[in-house]
Amino acid sequence: MASAASAALLSYLSLSFPLLPHYSPRGTQPHAAAAAASAEKAASLSPLGFRCLRAAAASLAAMAGQERRTIDLEEGWAFMQKGITKLKNILEGKPEPQFSSEDYMMLYTTIYNMCTQKPPHDYSQQLYDKYRESFEEYITSMVLPSLRDKHDEFMLRELVKRWSNHKIMVRWLSRFFFYLDRYFISRRSLTPLEQVGLTCFRDLIYQEIKGQVKGAVIALIDKEREGEQIDRALLKNVLGIFVEIGLGSMECYENDFEDFLLKDTTDYYSLKAQSWILEDSCPDYMIKAEECLKKEKERVGHYLHISSEQKLLEKVQNELLAQYATPLLEKEHSGCFALLRDDKEEDLSRMYRLFSKITRGLEPIANMFKTHVTNEGTALVKQAEDSASNKKPEKKDMVGMQEQVFVWKIIELHDKYVAYVTECFQGHTLFHKALKEAFEVFCNKGVSGSSSAELLATFCDNILKKGCSEKLSDEAIEDALEKVKCVEVFKEFYQTRTKHRKLTWIYSLGTCNINAKFEAKTIELIVTTYQAALLLLFNGSDRLSYSEIVTQLNLSDDDVVRLLHSLSCAKYKILNKEPANRSISPNDVFEFNSKFTDRMRRIKIPLPPVDEKKKVVEDVDKDRRYAIDASIVRIMKSRKVMGHQQLVAECVEQLSRMFKPDFKAIKKRIEDLITRDYLEREKDNANVYRYLA
Amino acid sequence: MLGKGEAAGQAHLHKDDDGGEQPSGVVKLISAEGFEFVVDKKAAMVSNTLRNMLTSPGGFSETREGEVRFPEISTPILEKICQYFYWSLHYSSGKETSEFQIEPEITLELMMAANYLDT
Repeated sequence: MASAASAALLSYLSLSFPLLPHYSPRGTQPHAAAAAASAEKAASLSPLGFRCLRAAAASLAAMAGQERRTIDLEEGWAFMQKGITKLKNILEGKPEPQFSSEDYMMLYTTIYNMCTQKPPHDYSQQLYDKYRESFEEYITSMVLPSLRDKHDEFMLRELVKRWSNHKIMVRWLSRFFFYLDRYFISRRSLTPLEQVGLTCFRDLIYQEIKGQVKGAVIALIDKEREGEQIDRALLKNVLGIFVEIGLGSMECYENDFEDFLLKDTTDYYSLKAQSWILEDSCPDYMIKAEECLKKEKERVGHYLHISSEQKLLEKVQNELLAQYATPLLEKEHSGCFALLRDDKEEDLSRMYRLFSKITRGLEPIANMFKTHVTNEGTALVKQAEDSASNKKPEKKDMVGMQEQVFVWKIIELHDKYVAYVTECFQGHTLFHKALKEAFEVFCNKGVSGSSSAELLATFCDNILKKGCSEKLSDEAIEDALEKVKCVEVFKEFYQTRTKHRKLTWIYSLGTCNINAKFEAKTIELIVTTYQAALLLLFNGSDRLSYSEIVTQLNLSDDDVVRLLHSLSCAKYKILNKEPANRSISPNDVFEFNSKFTDRMRRIKIPLPPVDEKKKVVEDVDKDRRYAIDASIVRIMKSRKVMGHQQLVAECVEQLSRMFKPDFKAIKKRIEDLITRDYLEREKDNANVYRYLA
Repeated sequence: MLGKGEAAGQAHLHKDDDGGEQPSGVVKLISAEGFEFVVDKKAAMVSNTLRNMLTSPGGFSETREGEVRFPEISTPILEKICQYFYWSLHYSSGKETSEFQIEPEITLELMMAANYLDT
């Protein structure tokens, strides 16, 4: 409102400006008029505006016939002192009535008046100094002594109480003296009242006592670490002081407390670790370590400042884990190797959790993991070797069985440790890598003369051909095949065996067993590779059009037609066709027939027989054409000139041993030979041919 | 350590200690001539000075304590100030604005009172 008022005043006082003539002058306030014309629009008056204000106050009072009485500094301060004493009494708990609003306004007004008096009675500076002195006096006479004669926990309690009191005192006094903040302090960029008050406490009390406080706090914390109950609320309050006294920065908390806490924590856990590492097994030690970390984290939640969490936990981890990583992991009967050996998955999970937080903490564990898996794998290899060499010669045909067993075991090993990687080690890449490298090592070892790769290849071969001694679902087969990447392995194997042969996969002869889940029941379909590929397309979409199928299979139309026919128009309708007729056209759409069922659990779906005959006839025709050509050329070469009828007769006779040629075919061949410049017609007789050399 | 009396004193001082509390009730503002203006506490809080007083630790009982005298503020000015309190509350939401009319002849006194009350 001061700004609104000053704006209005400005307009009122613009008498002298011809632009604003409609304000009629009322009253005569020449001084105020001229001066206030320069008053700013801002909420706080400028220095000049403030002077005007002061002048106006005096002149107004004079006009009203009351001289505003100048308050002398001594007098004014004595009045303030009474108020301050009252406040101190209240804080000390003495029986003292509360401040009334009257009291409040009087104190405020005293300050206000003393600050708005004309110099030399403008006592702003003195009041500012006396404000500070009030705090200093109170602190040194009352607060310090009360703290000095107490120790440990009692001292902490007293400190918390005194700090709380102090904050109240600052709040009251700064409100009485508030007017100083508005003009005097801001104009000279001095420290604001509240900060002055808090700084007094910091400089006079905090600085002296902080060492003791820190010591007392840390002693309590160590007590709690040893299992004793302590007053957590008290600690929270005390540490709150460290934070607040920084007046916005965390410096005090960090330098005067946190640094010491971290050092103490380091020492504490270093000592613990020294004895634990000797007494406890690896799993037990880890359990203790995990517990300690948990407790320290809770500690932060209860009374430490949140910014300490990261630093604190790091120290604990360092002392308990990083420093003792090697002796811990390599413990004779309970270290990492032992845990792997004994399948202690929970302990291994804990190990991962703990060491994952330490820089490069997982590397030794991953290495041990790798070594362990390699050893296990190598043991299997050796086992297979031994049993192979122990076999009697007449039982050589059992070699296949042994090697199958070996491969199965390898697969089991892989499964087991993949599970470890996923679950205990949370799928960390370091461990995936370790597993892979381990397998690489022993897979390259040989068993009874064949490399592991060869064995795996044989294994795959068996699976694919016979479905082997154990019943396998398709998924298992796929897993097995995936694991051993059989195609690659087999290729390599084949290359090593038969260097000069080319390996061509005859897809059309392969068979595949597919489990199809129909609504009624699951039926095993025995199909060719191509049919299987087509059916697998329907895993991705329920409906496919003819053209989509052709594109995705990348086969010729003829082949696709045959495949679709066998699956949708034959005895077993695995696919529904729209329109539902018996021939395949490019506009058809196909859908998986979930309602299909059959009383058999396994059915073979044959491809329709290729129209072989037609093909054969075609091929034969081709061959015959060449024969006819050859025969005609032979005859014409020797006779040079011949009539049509004669040529045909000769031709038939020549080829009679092989076949009976068709007259039309012969004629056609003659025409063809003419266009190819072997023969020509006679100019005067089209029925006579001449040989062209 | 604290005795019972002290604790009571402390507690009394701690009451109403947060500046954001919404007071219910009224205060009585008394002009130099003795005119009494009763306004809502919420309105009075438009003045920073009054707000500081009302939210200082140590509450005031409604009956006797809630009066403030202004020996230097005359009645018409104090009246205008009270009007301003309500105008400010009403239009502080910012949805609509209307000018607060200030009669030119009172501007100087009003400005000084405003300065005193930090309004």
